[in-house]
Amino acid sequence: MSRLARPVLCVGALLLTTGIVAACSSGGGQEGPPEQKVTLALSDQGCAPQPAQVPAGPVTFTVTNTGSNAVTEGEIQQDNRILGEKENVTPGLSQDFSLRLDPGTYTVYCPGAAQDTATFTVTGEGGQAPAPTDPSLTTATAGYRQYVIEQVGLLVPATKQFTDAVRSGDVARAQQLFAPARYHYETIEPVAESFGDLDPAIDLREPDVEPGTDWTGFHRIEKSLWTANTTAGMAPYADRLDQDIARLQQLVGTAEYQPAQIANGGSELLTEVSTSKITGEEDAFSHTDLSDFDANIAGAQECFELLRPALQQRDPALAQQLQARFTGITDALQPYQRGEAAPGVPAYVSYDTVTEEQRRVLADRVNALAEPLSQVSGKVA
Amino acid sequence: MTLNRRALLGRAGLLAGAGAAVAVSGGALAACAPDAPPPPATVPFRGRYQAGIETPSQDRLAFAAFDLEPGMTRADLVALLTTWSAAAEAMTRGQPVPGRSDDQNSPPADTGEAMDLAPGNLTVTLGFGPSLFDARFGLADRRPAAFTTLPALPNEILDPARSGGDIGVQACSEDPQVAFHVIRNLARLGRGTVVTRWTQLGFGRTSSTSTSQVTARNLMGFKDGTRNIKVEDAAAMGRSVWVDPADVPGPASWMAGGSYLVTRRIRMILETWDRDPLFDQEDVFGRSKVDGAPLSGGTEFTPPDFAKTLASGQPAIPLDAHIRLAAPENNGGAGLLRRGYNYTDNVDPATGLLDAGLFFIAYMRAPEQFVRIQSSLGNRDALNEYIRHTSSALFACPPGVAEGDPADYWGRRLVEA
Repeated sequence: MSRLARPVLCVGALLLTTGIVAACSSGGGQEGPPEQKVTLALSDQGCAPQPAQVPAGPVTFTVTNTGSNAVTEGEIQQDNRILGEKENVTPGLSQDFSLRLDPGTYTVYCPGAAQDTATFTVTGEGGQAPAPTDPSLTTATAGYRQYVIEQVGLLVPATKQFTDAVRSGDVARAQQLFAPARYHYETIEPVAESFGDLDPAIDLREPDVEPGTDWTGFHRIEKSLWTANTTAGMAPYADRLDQDIARLQQLVGTAEYQPAQIANGGSELLTEVSTSKITGEEDAFSHTDLSDFDANIAGAQECFELLRPALQQRDPALAQQLQARFTGITDALQPYQRGEAAPGVPAYVSYDTVTEEQRRVLADRVNALAEPLSQVSGKVA
Repeated sequence: MTLNRRALLGRAGLLAGAGAAVAVSGGALAACAPDAPPPPATVPFRGRYQAGIETPSQDRLAFAAFDLEPGMTRADLVALLTTWSAAAEAMTRGQPVPGRSDDQNSPPADTGEAMDLAPGNLTVTLGFGPSLFDARFGLADRRPAAFTTLPALPNEILDPARSGGDIGVQACSEDPQVAFHVIRNLARLGRGTVVTRWTQLGFGRTSSTSTSQVTARNLMGFKDGTRNIKVEDAAAMGRSVWVDPADVPGPASWMAGGSYLVTRRIRMILETWDRDPLFDQEDVFGRSKVDGAPLSGGTEFTPPDFAKTLASGQPAIPLDAHIRLAAPENNGGAGLLRRGYNYTDNVDPATGLLDAGLFFIAYMRAPEQFVRIQSSLGNRDALNEYIRHTSSALFACPPGVAEGDPADYWGRRLVEA
């Protein structure tokens, strides 16, 4: 996962689609309804929106804090997904974020307040983001939904095998099953990240743990398996991991995606690779980073393949360039592969055997791919 | 005085672009009056020669060296140079990188940090490294005969990761952010075709390249470039800086009107230098520290008299003084157009000493000029005790992009059949 800042990437990245057409609105001369302004005043008591009801369209939320040390964060959610938020709004500060909202009911959330949720209503016609009219894009969005469900369908039993090994105290088997279980998470990680606290519960890395909170998830167990060589005390974390993955499966069952979100999700995956896999920070104890690396690339490639027919019509040169650059990175990874860790899941050499120079070659290929991939969302939006 | 010059060039220099002459007094403040914004200082991108060579030295540098990625072809090189030329020309005019920067669903074409900043005489100068003329692009027969990798030279401990490169780009401006914006955006535009090999930021020009400029000081506190070639001296520029058509016959003719660029990261051991008594510091350079006059007498611009002896019989300018060994008259007339910048990059982890010094930049008609002077400095230069060359690069900078020909771009005559 990508550090603690990650929920912010919900705005502009993989968002829920029932509520949002375009996440960032700066009123750049676009046609449409006038921008509405809503204040979320943080206090120890709560954060009721003012006004609590606006017409559909662009909305700028101003999160202000006039003196609460306990409540410093305001979020807008729908169906448990964060659409926009401001964190660390300390006393005296005021910060804005903008959303384009469709009619519906939303939740204002300010963790730490006595009354930490409030209802926010958007009125007007419709209620759904317009479906893409291009049939190739309709196919892409349906296909991506299917892909995510499929990956999480593989993630559930793979995680269960891993957690069973942890619970039974079989360190060697748990070590063996760690990377292949994570694989199916890493292919769709940006989707999981869009569900608020779920990704931190599943995939938080040790340096990102906030003081006073319990560190859970894959990396908690990883550290015990590889540094202490034991499963002792890990059973509760194994149970919790199963529960969180089950929750993820439930959430992706109803999620819908927009074409631009699929494209941005692909870009997010490459950001994951270039910031935490290349450096070896992700799997700092097990050194199984290349497995995650492969999964991120595979997930990004799925995004690309689904959007490719539409992209082919709109910018064939970009489609061709992306194809070549995906080949570039998969070719570069190939020499490190060592058979399969599970059916359909490649196994890789330990990342601590990959030299700085070799890592640099991989990094260059990833960056070469990431640049044109970032152009796709604008083509399919 | 020095501080004033820097501070004013950083701001008023952008507006006035007039360097020290304006920056001396209240004149610069008047230039900031809100009711009369003067036009931003720009240097034409196109012309017979590339800008950034004979342009009077700006105050800030951002340099980057790039390598072509494995598997790239001549066509990729052509596409890169075409894209880069258009982007560089736009940036030198103070415009953003061409392309859409207002689509909410796409990353903006320009990264944005130079918005609202004046170009500050921005120049972008590009050169090709000797490695570009290997087998990859079929350019071997177009390599000028004089253009070979520099030989090993005395007093160098080179870091290969900071040396060489297939392509070098020098961006200079009065504003460091404007200069950095250039190399960042060129790297981005080239992603997938090139990787950035190394970069270097420089502050405070160390050489005056124009008679209109006050001689600047290097980090050792000495005036540097008193005897530098001045761009107003057309004869010297033709003799020592610009490549003559006769130098590059046949397939190498693309280089006529170009110039060779040598960069050397010269680390100064400032801590030991600062413990050296003034008389010795002056003997090391052969000049007086405060006014820059040669130790043979006179004022800063008095030619040094290398034959003059003191009453003691010792030469007034010591035999191992830097200016003696580097002087054109002692190197068969070889001169260089020096255009360097000071740099500082953190602390040497092994010694705790500052990693700071001079990022030496020089333009010349043939690389041999630099080799000759550096060999002459050899192990005899008294300055060697306090400096070490830690990086080296050589680039062949083609002539300027032609005015009035929109299809022209950097190095077109080299890379097109």
